[in-house]
Amino acid sequence: MNTNNTPETLQVQVEETGFNPSRRRFFQLAGGVAGLGMLAASCRRTPASDTWLGKGDVALLNYLYILKQVTVAFYTQAVATPYYDITASEVELQLDIRDQEVAHREFLKTLLGKDAVKTITMEMSAVTFADKSSFLSHAATLEDLSASAYAGVMKVLTDQSYIVSFSKMASVDARHAGYVRDILNHNSFSSGMNVLDSKGLNWMTSPSVGMATLSNYIETRFDISNLPTF
Amino acid sequence: MNFRHILNEIENQDPEAYHNLSDRRSMLGSFGSKVALAALPFAVASMFRKASAQTTDVVVDVLNLALEIEFMQYTYYRQGNNTGSLIPSNDLPGCKAIENQKKMHVSFLETLIKELGGVPFKPNYYTSPTTVHPYVPAAYDFTMGGTYTPFADYATFLKLAQILEDTGIHAIQGQITTLQTNNAVLTQMVSLLAVKGRHASFVRLMRRLAVNAPETPTPWIQNNIPPSIPLQKYYVGEDNTEQMGLNIAALGNTYYNSGLMPQTAATAAFDEGYTKDAIMTLIAPFKKI
Repeated sequence: MNTNNTPETLQVQVEETGFNPSRRRFFQLAGGVAGLGMLAASCRRTPASDTWLGKGDVALLNYLYILKQVTVAFYTQAVATPYYDITASEVELQLDIRDQEVAHREFLKTLLGKDAVKTITMEMSAVTFADKSSFLSHAATLEDLSASAYAGVMKVLTDQSYIVSFSKMASVDARHAGYVRDILNHNSFSSGMNVLDSKGLNWMTSPSVGMATLSNYIETRFDISNLPTF
Repeated sequence: MNFRHILNEIENQDPEAYHNLSDRRSMLGSFGSKVALAALPFAVASMFRKASAQTTDVVVDVLNLALEIEFMQYTYYRQGNNTGSLIPSNDLPGCKAIENQKKMHVSFLETLIKELGGVPFKPNYYTSPTTVHPYVPAAYDFTMGGTYTPFADYATFLKLAQILEDTGIHAIQGQITTLQTNNAVLTQMVSLLAVKGRHASFVRLMRRLAVNAPETPTPWIQNNIPPSIPLQKYYVGEDNTEQMGLNIAALGNTYYNSGLMPQTAATAAFDEGYTKDAIMTLIAPFKKI
């Protein structure tokens, strides 16, 4: 099933098709010495039609913005086609999560301004939304990624002014992760593969690994050659 | 001499050097072109000394605040988990998992504080030969001066667990900018914060499902809704909707006819931070003097 995120962003899809490659060339020409590295990198780069994330902090914010577009699309579909046997409480909390993900998405989109990646096309055929355990295991994957993404972003982030709002979102996404894991399997809110590390800290996901996980839910391909990662 | 080479040399001498600054990139950036080339080695040396002296103490203070809360939380869960049939067997594995993870957090913070040259916090009434580290029931009054009976009924146990969890999140969140001078500490503390989010989510969900708490709590904090009026002070400011100068409540949400974000979502999407003074005031009723 293909799930486009919102009607209003669909409209800009066409105008964007030729946008990113030209912006990339602009950076290459304008970047001077720094641009040399990018030109070298571009030789290895995947086809020019891939959506470029930008570089540095812009790329990191776009990564989080893409993550949020995926989670919004995911919960939108879940609300439209709820799983069999869903309880009244679960209906209500699912809407809550969707709205909070919309808040995060719109917040990041506003921070990015003109640098925000435009409409992306979802590809959620891996998820059987009508099936509780299929839906919740994918929800756990996406929420665990959300909870672990911010620390990974902060590891390579330059502009420290984002730290406060990012950590405010990190603990909320961890609340989502704890919730979906608990209704998937009671008492397992903090257990599972790559959930906690040996010190009892939440897993930290690097931006490139995060993008790889997201690619399972997105048809659009991204050029992440300038995404800071570790 | 190449500037990068100098940095590499320092790294070879002191692998921890860069941990004292936010990161290598910000250091490179902070030099700009104003420092004369000949003065570079001296500038670099003084930068490390200053950065270490200024930042380590305040970083350790934040870690010790987090540690103080972990001691309290660990003791609370351990006491609850070992009180007869207080916690239904259905939820006991969850409460025991929290207890175990609090213990791991105590060790993590103690190790980190020592690595930074600090002295780890110890609760009052911690006595070396008799205290079973980090369990210090003598240090706490979880009845809050006789007002609550958390170890007599599950609903009250969860209610105060929620207060302790959300306060722990407010505590770290409020001090997070202090940690930005040390990237390794910052990212680990954000990861610790996320585990606290998972714990808070669980106890709030159990209040919703297992004990039907009257305000029908959600795993996240909507507006500044407390579990009961006397505990309102633990949620002051949680109804904030402004993040980085943006009003989240005014951002669009096309799922609603109004096109606007519900206030509950705008506030729940971000956990707020409290000052250290506010946190000390909030945890004081749980401590024996």
